[in-house]
Amino acid sequence: MRAEQAAGLSRRDDLRRRLRATGGRRRKVRGLMELLRPYRGRTALMFVALILGTAASLAPAPLAKQAIDRGITKGDLGALNLIVVLFVASALIVWGTSYVQTYLTNWVGQRALQDLRLDIFEHLQEMPVGFYERRPAGVLISRLTNDVEALNSLVTDAVTTLFQASLTLVGSVVILLLFDVNLALLTFLIFPVMAVASFAFRIASADAFKRTRETIGAITAYLQETLSGIRVMRSFAQEPRHLGRFGALNAANRQANMTTVNLNAAYFPAVEFISSLATVGILLYGGHQVLQGDVTVGVLVGFIAALNGFFDPISQLSQVYTTYQSGMAALDKIFELLDERPDLTDKPGAVDLPRPLRGEVEFDDVTFAYSTDEGTKTALADVSLHVPPGQTVALVGATGAGKSTLAKLAARFYDPTSGRILVDGHDLRDVTMRSLRSQMGIVPQEGFLFSGTLRDNIAFGIAEGDPVDDAHLEDACRAVGAWGFVERLEHGLDTEIGERGVQLSAGQRQLVAFARALVADPSILVLDEATSNVDLHTETVIEQGLRRLLAGRTAIVIAHRLSTIRQAGRIVVLEGGRIVESGTHDELLAAEGRYWQLYRDWAEQAAA
Amino acid sequence: MATFRRLLGFLRPYRPAVALSAVLAALAMGATVVIPWLTGQAIDQIRGGDSSDLDRLGILIAVAGVGRLVLTVSRRLVAGRVSLAVEQDLRQGLYSHMLSLELAFFDRQQTGQLMSRATVDLQAVRFFLGYGLVFILQSALTIVLAAVAMLLVDPVLAAISLLPVPFVVLIAARYGRRARPAQQAVQQRLAELTADAEESIGGIRVVKAFAREDRQLERFAGTTARVFDQEMIATKLSAFYQPLIGFLPQIGLACVLLIGGRRVVSEHITLGDFAAFYAYLLMLLSPMRQLGMSLGLAQRATASGARMFEILDRAAEITAPAGAQPLPAGNGHVELRDVTFGYAGTPAPTLHDVSLDVPAGTTVALVGATGSGKTTLVQLLGRLYDVDEGAVLIDGADVRSLDPVELRQSIAIVDDAPFLFSTTIADNIAYARGGADHVDRADIEQAARRAQAHEFIATLPDGYDTRVGERGLTLSGGQRQRVAIARALLADPRVLVLDDATSAVDASTEQQITAALREAMAGRTTFIIAHRLSTIALADTIVVVEDGRIVAEGTHDELVGESPLYAEIVEKGLPDQVFLNRNPVEREVAGF
Repeated sequence: MRAEQAAGLSRRDDLRRRLRATGGRRRKVRGLMELLRPYRGRTALMFVALILGTAASLAPAPLAKQAIDRGITKGDLGALNLIVVLFVASALIVWGTSYVQTYLTNWVGQRALQDLRLDIFEHLQEMPVGFYERRPAGVLISRLTNDVEALNSLVTDAVTTLFQASLTLVGSVVILLLFDVNLALLTFLIFPVMAVASFAFRIASADAFKRTRETIGAITAYLQETLSGIRVMRSFAQEPRHLGRFGALNAANRQANMTTVNLNAAYFPAVEFISSLATVGILLYGGHQVLQGDVTVGVLVGFIAALNGFFDPISQLSQVYTTYQSGMAALDKIFELLDERPDLTDKPGAVDLPRPLRGEVEFDDVTFAYSTDEGTKTALADVSLHVPPGQTVALVGATGAGKSTLAKLAARFYDPTSGRILVDGHDLRDVTMRSLRSQMGIVPQEGFLFSGTLRDNIAFGIAEGDPVDDAHLEDACRAVGAWGFVERLEHGLDTEIGERGVQLSAGQRQLVAFARALVADPSILVLDEATSNVDLHTETVIEQGLRRLLAGRTAIVIAHRLSTIRQAGRIVVLEGGRIVESGTHDELLAAEGRYWQLYRDWAEQAAA
Repeated sequence: MATFRRLLGFLRPYRPAVALSAVLAALAMGATVVIPWLTGQAIDQIRGGDSSDLDRLGILIAVAGVGRLVLTVSRRLVAGRVSLAVEQDLRQGLYSHMLSLELAFFDRQQTGQLMSRATVDLQAVRFFLGYGLVFILQSALTIVLAAVAMLLVDPVLAAISLLPVPFVVLIAARYGRRARPAQQAVQQRLAELTADAEESIGGIRVVKAFAREDRQLERFAGTTARVFDQEMIATKLSAFYQPLIGFLPQIGLACVLLIGGRRVVSEHITLGDFAAFYAYLLMLLSPMRQLGMSLGLAQRATASGARMFEILDRAAEITAPAGAQPLPAGNGHVELRDVTFGYAGTPAPTLHDVSLDVPAGTTVALVGATGSGKTTLVQLLGRLYDVDEGAVLIDGADVRSLDPVELRQSIAIVDDAPFLFSTTIADNIAYARGGADHVDRADIEQAARRAQAHEFIATLPDGYDTRVGERGLTLSGGQRQRVAIARALLADPRVLVLDDATSAVDASTEQQITAALREAMAGRTTFIIAHRLSTIALADTIVVVEDGRIVAEGTHDELVGESPLYAEIVEKGLPDQVFLNRNPVEREVAGF
């Protein structure tokens, strides 16, 4: 299993390298080839089946002609029997080859797409946090889902259809020419008509289809939203308005759909009509030829039988065209994403941090500016801060003062624009990210939990392959005060907590995030205190849990609770990206500075 | 079968159009069947060396072709419109029925389930009513007409060559039945993949923080592998059935060649008959397939229809009483008389014997632990739920005797996690009054100012016209609460309910809101549910709720002495948790 995974990983690394290496005008087509390359053998076999099957599927028309000319009209029953045997044989070949071809096409196509998905995913995982802040999550998810799906129809349907339809078309042309050149040329007259009609139809209906999809998407979104907001709607008695709006969306959908209905009503009967016209042409012209003895009756019947094999491929090819377009557009977007390189990586020769860390953190004249649409914006300026091992530093300040930025820099989610950040004397840029993060705990504000069991979440920081010891997890839960509720759950640690932990209350989620951080046992903790409103009891539990978590570690806390701030070894007050004050609670109150002002405001309100 | 008949009932308003399209389809099929027959005649002429009638036959085929063209185009236009109209009716009917159902119904149903009724199931039903029925009719008609034509020409040959038909139909039906769930399972797996991707991308900070990229990748690999496996299950079905369905009719064709050929040689039939036979069988290829698939569609539609009827058959429990009386004049005198209420499906009532008299224009604060029944109590006022026992009266009228719309428009609720619609801020604030188009911008702004929301709204990219929600800007909890307060104020209700409405607002903003509220609360009855003393202090009366009962009632000073529970709340509930930078409002990028 392990070896297989490793092989999978190296194969994908290789794929990404190869995809990136492609370039130039034909890049996308080459990219598709690269996707299929690991499955050359199966792809080749698929094509063999495809060609064989298409050839066999062309056989009935000429065989029918032979049956009439050699067998029936001449009364040669032996020849007729032989032809019927050939006929059945060709049908069996079609049966067998289409099984093989359908299976292999999908197998190869799905495998290739799976590789591509994993490739994109792995690429995303390598991108730094800053990358995600610049892009809406929906767009990134769409690369993994919608865009890959668009390629799906290209890889599995369009490619085979393209070959199959072209082969059928060419085969039919050859057969008809062999039957009779004049009659064949007459029949080919309908070619351009069909082709133009089909392509026009596909383009128009792709457009109409897109609009239909958009309107139905709007309906679904509206439905979802209003059903979620039913309480508000009900309490303000606004149902009639929503019904009206829904009616309008519904009507828009009908309108968009109407175009599709009209297009279909024009196209499909027209194709049938063209085929009956062709039948008439063949009968009249061919009939006179037969009478003159130029062609046989069998040719005539064969021609009429072959007509069908003619229309389908043209119509199919026109469909391939639209699939091709959307697939290529998707591939463009995927390439764009894959071409982006992470700007925050381990530098060559990065060393591992020693383990265990003492936990000393130092900001040495750090300035950080991030770029926005309007230019760069300085978030931190000339910050110098020394945190000795084991100390808790509480960051205090208004929104936008730079608290989060300072915390993010400590976790190396970003690199400073100037200055250095040192952990135990090592510049963060000189050490491997893995060795840093494996010894640094980061607790974001709303502790993001993953769907799965409580156990999965609490043991999140335990590296793959290391044993997960329930007793250890239980200890961590007890330490932060989470065990009280975990124990009462019917399935305990095996409880499924739902997407983002929705099955838990805000307070419980917070406690689980604490336990998760504690299990990882970091030397340095970066924590953004939650602000959610919880009831008194939970509040007390969280407070105690936090105290246990912080004990004996270096901690940088974005603090919101007075209790946390009071207990911090040092309070750092930030304003406009600069440190304006620093000291203990008592020191800062005595200094009667910014902190003292904030405290006084609060005390006044508390007394109100 | 009953469900099936009820489904057909949706077509009733369009009976003439349905009948017309059936007639058109039948005529078109007639034209279609005539063509191979004429072709056969022509071939016999040719073979006989007599061309006198050949041109006439050619013209007849062309005429039949034109007839078929006209008939089919008309049929498609008529049937297509019926199908779209039915779809619209179905969707609107289902939605309007859902909106008429009481909240208790929504408590029991997951939104996803309701969504799936209104999308997946509705789709199946409309597909069947719109296309399936026509396909069944048309395919069956084609098969019958072709079979009749073939039987007339040569019964023996017809019997033999039609032999594969029932098998093809049955196998295609079976394929349709089996392929659908397999395809849906693929969609389900893809939805899981999307959820997985969403989670990994949403939680990227945690992943990076714990350096667990490998774990996420492995999970995702598992998810993609499940997509692959399910795709292959679906592929195996189509790889098995489709070639099989293609193969069986070839046997019929082989029979025509083998036996039909012999019968031409033995002069039982002419070569033209033989050609016509061959053409008929070719013509039947797609109707056979379609008939089978449509039968599968019918089965699915019946199952989906049954699920839709489950909702449509549910009668709304809270409706306007016959002869509803108008809301009496008043300033919002609220009275609860011996009210007992429990949510459906919960064993014990949430409220027991609650009696409370709130004089018009006063403010009452409800305090108590989470789950004590405070929120439930205020939801009974606007008849979002009906009491089990007792009565709720507004200005002397039992809420059950009033028109719910009028009643609810006189009560505004703000809760701790308010729901905003994904439209502009202005539209959200003007929600209760029909949306931004129906209210003066100045009124909207005034409400926003009172709720202390104007300042942050002014800094948004498009101010009041900024779109929020799923497809717009994400507001923080505190911002949402303030917009919701503005929304409630603009509704100008008799009774205002603030259910933990400022829980996510920072302390200094809350102070400003309460100052403004003091003014807004004048002349109306207000219920406040809050944890902070500063907010509770706004009330004239404080009601302590414990386990669904009112355990104490009075002013702050009275209660500190009388109610141990209240004393404890006062002692511990100092706004300790809200300090200095407690400002989740403009929290920097979510997650840190």
